[in-house]
Amino acid sequence: MVLGSIRELIRSDRGRPAIVVDGLTESFRLYHERPSGLKERLYRFSKPSFTDFNALEDVSFTIEHGETVGIIGHNGSGKSTLLKVLARILPPDEGHVEINGRLASLLELGAGFHGDLSGRENIYLNGAILGLTRSEIDERFDDIVDFAGVRPFLDTAVRNYSSGMYVRLGFAIAVNVDPDVLLVDEVLSVGDAQFQARSLERMQRFQSRGKTVVIVSHDLGAIQELCDRTIVLDRGRVAFDGHAKEGVQLYAQLMGTARGDDEQPDTHQLGTGRAWIDEVQLLDGSGSPAEQIGPSTQLLLRVRFEAREPIDACSAGALVSTGSGDHLYEVHTTWQGLGVGPLLPGQSAVVDIRFTAHVLAGHYRITPMITDAVGRTQYAVLPDAVAFEVRPAPGGSGLVDMVAATSVSEGPALRLGVESPTGPLPIVRLEDLDTEGGDAAAAGGR
Amino acid sequence: MSTDERVLQTTELPQRTGVEPPHSGRIPLRALRDKLVDLWLARELLRQLVGKELKVRYKNSALGFLWSLLTPALMTVVFTVIFQFVIRIAVDDFAAFFLSGYLVWQFFQNSVQGSVGAIVGNGSLIKKVYFPREVLPLSIVLSQVVHLLLALVAVSPYLIWARGWSILTHLPAILLGILLVTIFTAGVSMLLAGANVPFRDLQELIVVIFMVWFYATPIIYPVAMVTGSGNTAATVFGHVLNANPMTWFVKLFRESIYGTVVSNPACADVTTAVERCPRPFLTLAQSWPSPELLVGCTLAALAAFVVGYLAFHRFALNFAKEV
Repeated sequence: MVLGSIRELIRSDRGRPAIVVDGLTESFRLYHERPSGLKERLYRFSKPSFTDFNALEDVSFTIEHGETVGIIGHNGSGKSTLLKVLARILPPDEGHVEINGRLASLLELGAGFHGDLSGRENIYLNGAILGLTRSEIDERFDDIVDFAGVRPFLDTAVRNYSSGMYVRLGFAIAVNVDPDVLLVDEVLSVGDAQFQARSLERMQRFQSRGKTVVIVSHDLGAIQELCDRTIVLDRGRVAFDGHAKEGVQLYAQLMGTARGDDEQPDTHQLGTGRAWIDEVQLLDGSGSPAEQIGPSTQLLLRVRFEAREPIDACSAGALVSTGSGDHLYEVHTTWQGLGVGPLLPGQSAVVDIRFTAHVLAGHYRITPMITDAVGRTQYAVLPDAVAFEVRPAPGGSGLVDMVAATSVSEGPALRLGVESPTGPLPIVRLEDLDTEGGDAAAAGGR
Repeated sequence: MSTDERVLQTTELPQRTGVEPPHSGRIPLRALRDKLVDLWLARELLRQLVGKELKVRYKNSALGFLWSLLTPALMTVVFTVIFQFVIRIAVDDFAAFFLSGYLVWQFFQNSVQGSVGAIVGNGSLIKKVYFPREVLPLSIVLSQVVHLLLALVAVSPYLIWARGWSILTHLPAILLGILLVTIFTAGVSMLLAGANVPFRDLQELIVVIFMVWFYATPIIYPVAMVTGSGNTAATVFGHVLNANPMTWFVKLFRESIYGTVVSNPACADVTTAVERCPRPFLTLAQSWPSPELLVGCTLAALAAFVVGYLAFHRFALNFAKEV
């Protein structure tokens, strides 16, 4: 089609990288009291009643075709702004942004739906919003309907759809646009487990076909799994751009140092902000703070949090990871049939999570989180809120304390003293000394 | 995004403080070409939005498309009763006279009033998806074109009965008029839709402006009624009328649908005493628009469109931040 060639001519210069961002600065005007009418405008004409704030400052990078890049950073670091600039929703204030290839963005699923129109009509409308022609939508129609699983409801107004159907339809349309460059903002965390698995599979198929993907997420696990490369943003600037795993580690470090700085410890709490984690304590059996413990000690994690908005039911959970960021264990109250709520705004709750740390010598960290009852939306996450250290002790070596007991069932046995030199001399630790340093090493022993 | 904004406020990183605009308002030619290509690529979206506009409006109403005819029909009855029997405006076939001006006015007014809130009302969409923003006001204007055409078709039997078959021979002029008034309306709609984002009062203000504008356009009275009298105030008002582009478009339609109203030369010396001259105005048959009128309408349409389009894109730089 002639149209296709025009599109190629103008947009799609395959010889150039998929995305080129050069010296991008994006500023927002923070109105101290937003003037929204003529009267206010005239009244305040002479007074500066706003502050300009750079959400992104001199950001430059290049993304080649076929790369999958994760963008991470704490809230307010500018990652959502960056995605919106890439998606052409925000025009750059300074600098230059170039996208080569057809672009689709998944910033909010079903953003263009109109409640009064049927599912069928909305597929056409939303497809057109995402830049598909009518014949292209005709071709993809069945795929979209099957992927979303809404065939029986095609002629029902989407106003009557369940939220799950709504989101599934939005996702199905967006992934069927078949773009060259896909921008994703946290949307992989919607839907039920089955739908999430299908979405993930779609993303991977996408990658294997050499398409370019840019993901913004707080889910570091997903970033590490999906991305080749991460860009870490810190206060609007690129703090790191390189290998995914290194980026995630640097981000974890950034979070760590930022927490140490007393002025704004709270800004690094992640999540939607519906709940706020006020206090996290890790106690041992005697009720004193557990910083250094022996292997397989009974611990109590006490999380005090406050609802910022009304919450019907939520779940408190914890993620235990090694010093190097490997996930060891995760638990949520709802997994054990226990929910917290209802809570009114300002009302707080304290949740105790008792567990036995069946781990051996090393440094460990715990990330408490408050999520909705099904664990999809994270209301509050305080990454690595508490840390504990397990002292080296005789009995075993490695990462997990498997609580072994030994006996000699045949042949002569020799009983040695408990303080004998046969205590564990972790062989693995020796190899890791240069990378991890000192006693954090047990963690590296894989 | 509310969470981001909250953090923005706590992280104090003031960069510049002042009142200077962050952007220079100029749009380079290359960017303009890209924008026009974008608009062309979005024509399917435009089509869908026009369809949505028409469908949604009538989906939940029993009378459906009849609604777009009911308003002009009712207005015609009301104005005809008032200006034929209460305050006499002595033109032939007042209902046809009124309709020939009112339909184009109604198109203009509904388009502009609908477009003013188009950007603000679709804020959630604008913050989440990219598409050429001008399709929002343009889709409203185009859906109103559909209403205008339907209304014209619906009243055509009456118009033919009252004013004769020569309406049909003037159809090309009517269609050209619709094209020009659509371009003009699109320009005004884009300008106001864009301006309404920083100046939210516009949405209220526009209602008042349109009420005044309606009476400053010769819809319920002929221009000859104003310019014919020698009185100074009327002469000043005559200038206002002639400077109003909507007067030109109404004229363009009226001349090809209804005919031209002129002062009766026989009454030239007695215009102040209407009762002594039973027919102060004569209606000439439908005629082709004069070249001056066509040029005027074309220039007005193009000027409004260019200004509206450029201003819209200037405002559009801040849509995602301000809606």
